[in-house]
Amino acid sequence: MELDKLIWELSQDPFNPEKNFQVALEYERLSQTASAISFFLRTAEYSKEDNSVIVYVSLLKMAHCLADQVDREHSVVHALLQAVTVCPRRPEAFFLLAQQEEWKGHWQEAYTWASLGKNSLETHGYEPLKYDVKYPGDYGIKYELAISSWWIGRQIESIQLLEELEGMDLAPQYKESVENNLKLVRG
Amino acid sequence: MNLVELAVTNGGKLAPLVIPKQFTAGTGLMNPSVFVDDDGDILVNLRHVNYSLYHSENSQRFPSKWGPLAYLHPEKDMHLVTENYLCRLNSNLELTDYAHVDMLSLHEPMWDFHGLEDARLVQWQGVYYLVGVRRDNTPNGQGRMEYSAISLNKSKWEVKEVARKRLAAPGEDLSYCEKNWVPILDKPFHFIKWTIPTEIVTSTPDVNVGTTQVSLIEPPFPAPADQRGSSHVFNWGDYYVSITHDTSLFFNYLNQKDGQYYHRVAVWDKDFNMLGLTPQFKFLDAHIEFCVGAAVYEGDLLITFSFQDNAAFILRTPKDVVDYLINKAIETKGAGTWN
Repeated sequence: MELDKLIWELSQDPFNPEKNFQVALEYERLSQTASAISFFLRTAEYSKEDNSVIVYVSLLKMAHCLADQVDREHSVVHALLQAVTVCPRRPEAFFLLAQQEEWKGHWQEAYTWASLGKNSLETHGYEPLKYDVKYPGDYGIKYELAISSWWIGRQIESIQLLEELEGMDLAPQYKESVENNLKLVRG
Repeated sequence: MNLVELAVTNGGKLAPLVIPKQFTAGTGLMNPSVFVDDDGDILVNLRHVNYSLYHSENSQRFPSKWGPLAYLHPEKDMHLVTENYLCRLNSNLELTDYAHVDMLSLHEPMWDFHGLEDARLVQWQGVYYLVGVRRDNTPNGQGRMEYSAISLNKSKWEVKEVARKRLAAPGEDLSYCEKNWVPILDKPFHFIKWTIPTEIVTSTPDVNVGTTQVSLIEPPFPAPADQRGSSHVFNWGDYYVSITHDTSLFFNYLNQKDGQYYHRVAVWDKDFNMLGLTPQFKFLDAHIEFCVGAAVYEGDLLITFSFQDNAAFILRTPKDVVDYLINKAIETKGAGTWN
């Protein structure tokens, strides 16, 4: 639906989380990330359920909008931390936090978040999200563990995880990274 | 009261104002100022900022790292930078042209806020002006209204600032920050500087001319004194009309700032005796909204406003709704409710 129609519907029910969410998604589609942040945040704030998936997705998408604006790293991590508090049994926020720390070279932090993600996968089942939050799949957590474990002295664990990933169906950028890293460690 | 719902329910139209990300990096598009020029074109000055406003509402379960209200500027660069884009809309309120306003480079910015902020677009004696506040001329952020004369090439849609004048405050010019002086459309170079009492000042673009107080008129009724300028002042039948705003700024228990913005419609007679003020209203029920433009178009009123500094809109408000708002202002004189 066009943005003006979505906004018009929202004006009739401005505190409705679902309607705010639909407006936010449309602004996100248009790459208008500041506008999207406004409406994702309203979705989260006006949702009546603390553990709602729509709140969780909104906070994850806010993090991506902020990351897209560049040099908002504290705010990106802050939104992801808030997402963990909403759905602590889901893996996506743990993965994204691990990825953020990996990109900064904060290896122990990355390993810790990825370990929590691994625990959530092993302990709790979850329904895949209907919305793209840049979660590549559960192998993403294994990948973050593989990369970060190397840099905190867990060489054997790192190689073992990379070899497990080598045999999996990965997105191209992960496949390339795994292959390159294995080449390096195998010499 | 939510003005968007009222206007659109009665035949009006709301349109978002969006320019592509490659010009903005996705950060805030805000405080649009509409103006209908001598050619009948609907023009909008659209302010682009390098931040996203973060404002937690409701029970504020998800505040930012810095509290419920924060400007999320680049973390390694705390400057709040404004650029302006001049846009043209068709009669269906679709954006057909936009161009960055190429401002003169007259000095290095000396304060945290860069650029001409909240500029109202006018055309007086054939010349386009952006009239806004600039705070980067001094090391302490002193704000003064400025005229930026604009050259607009409509065939190429190119926009350049060609001259600038900083307006002194009337009197001794000692105040810290002057802003939101609102242009009176049919009185070239005249502004309502303060709404209650209604203070009108004038200053021409001639750099040798100071600013003079023209009149200062107390309203004939007890009115909320904190009304600040928002939209242009336009003619509507026997009245001058403008949208004003008032703010409620406060701190939470953690001493973190927070705020609410409200708007009203203010009505004067032709001698600027105040006749009325509506109760407070919202546009889309956000805590922070801001209007900096209004223009009469084909008998209706175009109003431009922003939502949390992050999204910009234009609202075509039908004549009957404007008449209703004016009657409500005269009836309630700022003291009533919408019910």
